[in-house]
Amino acid sequence: MISSKHCSPRERYRALETWRLVDHEYRDNPSMNLAVEEAIPRMVGEGKAPSTVRFWHNSNTIVIGFFQSAKLEVNMQACKETGTEIVRRFTGGGAVYHDSGNLNYAISLRKGHRLVPDHDLQSVFQRLSEGAVEGLRRLGVKAEFQPVNDIQVEGKKVSGAAGSIRWNSVFHHGCILVGSDLSILGKVLNVPRVKLEDRHVASVQKRVTTVRDELGRDITTKEVQDAIVGGIESCYGVRVESGVLMKEEVGLAEELYQTKYSRLEWNLEP
Amino acid sequence: MERAADYKASGGKLVRIRLIEDAGQIRSVRITGDFFLIPEESVGKLEKMLEDTPLREQEIRLLVNRFYSATQAQGAGVTPDDFVKALLAAREV
Repeated sequence: MISSKHCSPRERYRALETWRLVDHEYRDNPSMNLAVEEAIPRMVGEGKAPSTVRFWHNSNTIVIGFFQSAKLEVNMQACKETGTEIVRRFTGGGAVYHDSGNLNYAISLRKGHRLVPDHDLQSVFQRLSEGAVEGLRRLGVKAEFQPVNDIQVEGKKVSGAAGSIRWNSVFHHGCILVGSDLSILGKVLNVPRVKLEDRHVASVQKRVTTVRDELGRDITTKEVQDAIVGGIESCYGVRVESGVLMKEEVGLAEELYQTKYSRLEWNLEP
Repeated sequence: MERAADYKASGGKLVRIRLIEDAGQIRSVRITGDFFLIPEESVGKLEKMLEDTPLREQEIRLLVNRFYSATQAQGAGVTPDDFVKALLAAREV
């Protein structure tokens, strides 16, 4: 478990490094959203783009992990009935359900960055989840990092993260259930019984929660985003400034969309 | 003969094995699941290395260890031992 005390005073008062904030998104085109997700760390790794935190949303989408089988993990019929799209990301981990009540964040740093110098994936998850944990705590949610890659509130998952170390970059992204429709989640995902056994719950729906449910009030994803930006600034000793994607990043994302993320063979096979 | 196993790793992640066995040997195998392994594309190498390997612990363990040292692969939520156990679980189903 990680608490806000890990955001040490030394880090708070370090000469401030600036991170770019982008909220470039394609709500109704999840494949393009995932293409942007890959384009940014590639550009950061090449030294063409600065350290970046991106916030974005998808409308109804299942995002499956790199190693997952769409056929095994997703209820295709339920996806058709609910108009849910299926897209694969380039990072491992489990399938997640996105809708407009779900806030996605992604941090891209150059490999060797002081925050994650040892190139250990588990350390990346832990260290780069701290900003989100701190942001949620600022809102009053009793969030804690739970290895391998979750943020939980009293045993229920409110956010899952994934990441990779490649293209000379360290990449970490997570999705936060702010006010998602959890009833669809239970329909569109096939969660094998073995996965739920040790949690003593009968369905995936019962082991997750939302920020809205934890606070007992409606909250916008923008409010959560602002809190996480504050958490990131205080935890990592950085200043987050609004920016935009470079023309080259958008061009790369468009190319990745055409050659990879819009293709059935990438998203649905094996 | 088609064989399948869903194995829950010690770190809580799922390793799903779908393989074709012929006379005690793995003819082909797909390893899927919600684990983390970098470099991500290395899982294809592991699947390839496992082809024509006897579905026995000693051989599989040797091969999985060789895969990790050859590729410098790094996992999170899954260990080399988990891959070995997941593959052997398919034998038992």
